[in-house]
Amino acid sequence: MRRRSRRDKVTIYALMALVMLFFLGPIFWFILLAFRHPSEAYTLPPQLFFEPYLGNFGDTFVDPGNNAPQLLSSVIVSTGATLLSLPFALAAAYALSRFAMRGKEFIMNWYISLLIAPPIVFVIPYFILMSRIGWAGAYQAMIVTLQTLAIPFSVWLLKSFMDEVPLDLEEAAWVDGAGRFAAFIRIIIPLALPGIIVTSMFTFVFSWNNVIFPLALSKQSTTTLPVGTISFFASTGVYWGHIAATAVVAMLPPMIIFLLLGRYVVRGLTFGAVKG
Amino acid sequence: MPNRYTFQRRLPYLLLAPSVIVLLALILYPLAFALRNSFWFWNLQTSPMPLYHSGWDNYRMVFQVTPFAVALKNTLLLSFLGTFAQFWLGMGIALLLHTHLRGMGLMRAALIMPTTLAPVVAGFLFRYLLEPKGGLLPWLLEGIGFPVPPQGFLGNANTALFSIGLVDTWQWTPFFAIVLYAGLLSINEEIKEAAEVDGAAPWRMFWSITLPLLRPIAAFLVMIRFMQLFNSFDLVFVLTSGGPGTASRTLSFNLYREGLVNYNIGLTAAMTWLVVIIVSVIINLYLFFIYRKREW
Repeated sequence: MRRRSRRDKVTIYALMALVMLFFLGPIFWFILLAFRHPSEAYTLPPQLFFEPYLGNFGDTFVDPGNNAPQLLSSVIVSTGATLLSLPFALAAAYALSRFAMRGKEFIMNWYISLLIAPPIVFVIPYFILMSRIGWAGAYQAMIVTLQTLAIPFSVWLLKSFMDEVPLDLEEAAWVDGAGRFAAFIRIIIPLALPGIIVTSMFTFVFSWNNVIFPLALSKQSTTTLPVGTISFFASTGVYWGHIAATAVVAMLPPMIIFLLLGRYVVRGLTFGAVKG
Repeated sequence: MPNRYTFQRRLPYLLLAPSVIVLLALILYPLAFALRNSFWFWNLQTSPMPLYHSGWDNYRMVFQVTPFAVALKNTLLLSFLGTFAQFWLGMGIALLLHTHLRGMGLMRAALIMPTTLAPVVAGFLFRYLLEPKGGLLPWLLEGIGFPVPPQGFLGNANTALFSIGLVDTWQWTPFFAIVLYAGLLSINEEIKEAAEVDGAAPWRMFWSITLPLLRPIAAFLVMIRFMQLFNSFDLVFVLTSGGPGTASRTLSFNLYREGLVNYNIGLTAAMTWLVVIIVSVIINLYLFFIYRKREW
C-alpha cells in the first residue's frame, strides 16, 4: 500500500464528504419531511430542528389509516412471489450448477434476457388476461406475473451459491447409498441455505419495490404500498406529509434487509455474476 | 443400466423444465396476444373484444397518433447519458473507496441506501427536493445565482428529461461504485506493483491495467443498467408523467399511456412489437461488440 500525504488524505475525505452528502442528504431530508407538520413542508430557509409531528403517520396508518391495508398487501405479494419462485428456481439452479449439458450458456442468457426485458410490454396483455380469467385485482395475479422477474433472478443467484457447495460432499453421500434427491435435500439444501435465504431476501425486496405490476393488476383493496404513495397525487392538492410518511414506511423494509445482507449486496445486485 | 443412464442424462432438462415452462407461458402469451391484436382495431373503452381487422393500420398509427419517434429519442438519450454518467461517477467513487482510508468501510455500507429504494420513492424524494416553490434544491441554486426555470426543473421542457436522468444517476451510481469497488479488490496487487516498479504513472496504470481487468464486470453492469434505463417507467411516471408535453416521454411511458390510460389495445400491441424488435436489436448489437472476442 502506498503512503499518502496529508494533503491527499484531506482531498479524499473532502470528496467523500461531498459524495455522502449528495447520496444520503435527499433521503435524510425526506425522512424529516415525514415528521414535519404539513404547514411546515415548504418552510424556507430550511429548518433542521423542529418539533417532531407524528400526525402524518397517524393519518396514513391509524386513523383513517388508508395505507395500512396496502402495507399488508405489500407483505402478501412480496412474500407470495418469493415463496412461489423458490421451488422452480431451486430445481433449475441445481441443474445448471451440477450437470454438464448442452446449451447451458444459452439457457443462462435466456433467463437474463427476461430480467432486462421491458416489463410494460408484458403488463398490458396480463391486464386483459387477468380480467378474463377472473383474477382482476387479485393477489395471485401480481404474484404469478412477478415470476417473470423472480424466477430468472433467483436461478442466477442460487446457481452462484450452489456452485460453491463442494461436489465431494454430494458424491460422498451417493457412495453412502443416498440417491440424487436425498443428497440434494441432505447436502445441498443445508449447505446452500445461507444462499437460499439471501436469494429470498433479494427477491422479496425486488417484489416489494416493483410498481409496474401492482399498478396495472391490483384494485384499490389489494394495491401495494409504493403504489399507494402515488394515489396521493390523484386527490386534490399534494399532501407531502402523507406521501412522506407512507414512502418512509415503504422504504424501511428494503433498507433493513440490505443492511442485514451486508457483504452479499454486490452479489445479489449482480445476480451472482460478481462475487464481491 | 441404460434406463438409469438415460434418466441421468435427462435429469437436468427435467429440472429446468418447470421454470422454463412457466416462464415461456408468461412471455409467449403476451407476445402472441400483442401479435394478434396488433392487426385488429380494439379500444377497450368502446368494446370488450377486438372490433375489426385493420391490417397494418395500428403500426402506422403508432407513428402518427403517438410521439413514438420522440419517445425513442428520449429513451436512447436517457439510457446513453445515464449509463455513461453512472459508470464514470461510480468508478470515481470506487477509486476513492479503494484508498482504504479509515471510515471507508462504513461509508461504503451507507452508500448503497439510494439503490435500495423503490424507484417510485426515489422519484418522490426528488419531486419534493425540486418543487419550484419551497423545494430545497431550487432555493439553494438560486442562492448561489444558478438560473432556475420558473416552472421548476421538472416542468421545463429543456430540463425535464435531464432531471429524470439525474434522479436515476443518484439512485444507481452507488450500485456502480460498490460493484466496481468489489472488482478493484479482486485485481491482483502484484500486477500493479510490477507496473509501479517499472515506473508507470498512476493514470497510465488505471488505463492500461485496472480498466482492462475490470472489463468483464463493467460490460455486465453497463448492459444491465442500460436496459433498466431503457425500460424507465416508474421515475418518469412519478416525476414528470412524460411532460411537459412530450419532453420526457419514454417508450415505456408511451406504452403505458396508450395501453392503460387510453385503452388502445390494438395500437399498444403494435407498439409492443416495435419495442420488442428494438430491444432485441440493441441487446444483440451489444453482445456482438462486447463478447465478440472470447478472451478479455
